[in-house]
Amino acid sequence: MNDLILKNIVKFITPCIQLFGIYIILYGHISPGGGFSGGTIIASSLILQHITFGRSSVHTIFRKDRALKLIGFSLILYSLMKGYSFLSSQFHFPHPPTGVPGSLLSGGFILPLNILIGIIVSCTIYIIFTLFANE
Amino acid sequence: MKLITSLPLIEILILFISAFLMPFVRKNKNIKIVSVTALTFSFILSVVIVINVLQNGAFYFNTGYIDTILGIQLYIGPVESLLNSLFLFVIILVACFSFFTIDSEIRENRIKLFYIMVNLLSASILGVIFTNDIFNGYVFIEVAALTSCGIVVVKETQDNIKAALKYLIMSTIGSGLILMGIAFIYSFTGHLNIDLIHQAILEDYTQYQKALLITIALFTSGLGVKSAMFPLHTWLPDAHSTAPTASSALLSAIVLKPFAFFLIKIMYRMIGFDLVNQFNIITIILTLGCCGMLFGSLAAIFQKNIKRLIAYSSIAQMGYIFFGIGLGSPFGAAIAVYHMIGHAVTKSALFMCSGLMIEKTGYKTIDNYKGLGHEMPITFALFTLGAFSMIGIPIFPGFISKWYLSIECIHLNQLLLIFVVLASSLLNAVYYFPIIINGFFGIENLKNKEYHSKKVETQKLLPIAALILAMVLLGAFSKNILDFISPELH
Repeated sequence: MNDLILKNIVKFITPCIQLFGIYIILYGHISPGGGFSGGTIIASSLILQHITFGRSSVHTIFRKDRALKLIGFSLILYSLMKGYSFLSSQFHFPHPPTGVPGSLLSGGFILPLNILIGIIVSCTIYIIFTLFANE
Repeated sequence: MKLITSLPLIEILILFISAFLMPFVRKNKNIKIVSVTALTFSFILSVVIVINVLQNGAFYFNTGYIDTILGIQLYIGPVESLLNSLFLFVIILVACFSFFTIDSEIRENRIKLFYIMVNLLSASILGVIFTNDIFNGYVFIEVAALTSCGIVVVKETQDNIKAALKYLIMSTIGSGLILMGIAFIYSFTGHLNIDLIHQAILEDYTQYQKALLITIALFTSGLGVKSAMFPLHTWLPDAHSTAPTASSALLSAIVLKPFAFFLIKIMYRMIGFDLVNQFNIITIILTLGCCGMLFGSLAAIFQKNIKRLIAYSSIAQMGYIFFGIGLGSPFGAAIAVYHMIGHAVTKSALFMCSGLMIEKTGYKTIDNYKGLGHEMPITFALFTLGAFSMIGIPIFPGFISKWYLSIECIHLNQLLLIFVVLASSLLNAVYYFPIIINGFFGIENLKNKEYHSKKVETQKLLPIAALILAMVLLGAFSKNILDFISPELH
């Protein structure tokens, strides 16, 4: 992919896509969207980068083994948090504050869970892409 | 009390979290330790649950807020607790067996993946058993489908990938059918909780008879694909025979059963015995069960490969379970559950024995096992005991489920069905006895065979011996077990 127009446009558009993905993840609990859709958007920006600038451009910051560990870590955090919220009402453990409805920091566990889902989905979809991309 | 009711969820969480911990563990040896520690913890908790159910009876667990019907609900009755602890027992022993055999069967960097899959699979199976919410059940079924394809494909040979793809496609179709069934039932009852659906159906099922019929048909075919009901079984022999030994033991012994149990839940707890008996589907399940019993055994007779033979035998044994469900009586369902337990213990032992035979002789075909009983007597003796249970020799669980199935047929005045049970047992004998007889007896067969020459390490034999011991105990205490599980299904 040695097209100058493509390279310049991708350079410009990648941060925009990623910002949009992060927006969708963060506002998942008060507007349409959430971890899964935001995660796929971020993964699509990584895939675009991979196609235009080659494997090395992504792999300098995002290696496969590191991504797997990131997924594992996020999944552990996710299951601990979700397990806590399932079990806590039985024992009357404290809940996180729910905040003012409509503001960004509200909804208790939903925001951190959405962020974790976003990380898991973006890593997974990018790894699935690398399985099929032959170099 | 509150702690005890939340134990089922803690059990599932332990298994999931241990699976996600494994990517951080470097050495393969430590991964095995993590896997089996988590399984053992869950097993201990499951024993506590069984004791609690024995003392205080069945209980519910609501996730999230306590008094709401919106959350996911788990229901733990006698059957659930018993299935849970016995399945975990079998999984632990298969995992212990795999410690010593898996290294020679799959690539070194895949071992981590295998144990992640095993833990996820056991967690999802526990979820399917416990859940009282059909959509939650669907999610766990999906996890189980993907992970069971994973433990087939870890071996990475050509046959293996082909078999796993076939399995994946078939079980995805099954999941789709189940999801459609859930959509149908949700559209006219407005609930996903099994108890609430039951109430809603009892109130006004007369208006929705066709929709109810379609729902039952969708659930039956969808879960039938996953638990290898007769005409939908085509994925099973390939997947089970090409997988590594430990995987095929797990798949055949454990993975087929929760789906059949979920069908029992749908049929008898969600829709109810009286209502189910009004539909013809129950007769269809009975007929397909009979066909599975006969054709599974008939196909097994012509198999040369020992693992394929045992896989076809699984289809026949699943036929018994569907036969029990299809009788349409509470006791029939109880026998189906008993057969699940008995078959889980026996079939895993048989698969592990066959794995050892393949490993020691280097051949997969039965013709090469002549006189093998002289060379590896203990393994072959254990294989013989397992085969006796499959055929239905008294004391063993296979005999007991066949006996009670026949008695239940007499109660229901369907005498012809006894001949099906009898014919299937005889067919079982036709393919198991030649292996045993050629293994132990015959002057031709025993020529040039040295006694105990192919020595099997003790640590590989111990799990099999424990399973066979459990099998004999299950047979001996069958009365107590049936008393424990049958009032639940009344």
